[in-house]
Amino acid sequence: MLGKPHWFKRRKYGGWGLFPKTWQGLIYVIAVCAIFAAIQFLPLDAQTKMIVTILFAVVLVADVLDIMRRIPMDERERLHEALSERNALWAIIATLTAGIAFQAYISAASQTMQVDPIIIIALLAGVAAKAATNIYLDRKN
Amino acid sequence: MNNKIAALRKKCGITQEELAAKCGVTRQTIIALEQNRYNPSLKLAHDITKTLGRKSIEQVFEME
Repeated sequence: MLGKPHWFKRRKYGGWGLFPKTWQGLIYVIAVCAIFAAIQFLPLDAQTKMIVTILFAVVLVADVLDIMRRIPMDERERLHEALSERNALWAIIATLTAGIAFQAYISAASQTMQVDPIIIIALLAGVAAKAATNIYLDRKN
Repeated sequence: MNNKIAALRKKCGITQEELAAKCGVTRQTIIALEQNRYNPSLKLAHDITKTLGRKSIEQVFEME
């Protein structure tokens, strides 16, 4: 779309997303920050500004995902990424499960329902994604 | 699995960088392979074997 894959490398040690590898990548990051800041200073009402910001964020996320998809990875890098993503997911699941347990304990103690449904939805979304991936992979190979 | 990639590569007179480029992997992957820290896929083993001018995978890779 907008950015080129050879301008960036995948983030490995600082979360997810891209890290600039060349000066063009750095210019891209600076341009994104500049556009985001410029939107905030546009002479628009708050609601329009919010809509423009969301539209810009959607374009940016789509571009980042497209760049990440096109960054070449060999089989060893792919394996490393798969294992690190799996470990990250385990950490997230453990934290969410602990959160639900804590909220359930608080609910029981206070006799009021205080379990956040978003956490349960997140875990169910993970279950669905895992099942869909396994169905796809079983059919593929 | 052990391999003779480093010795055969030097015999062919090519660098890790060149072997990596010819096989479509990074230099880090070639380093990991030469140090027996990574077991390649069958396709990569085949590509390396061909690039190093060998006829069979067994000439480059051997099971422990």
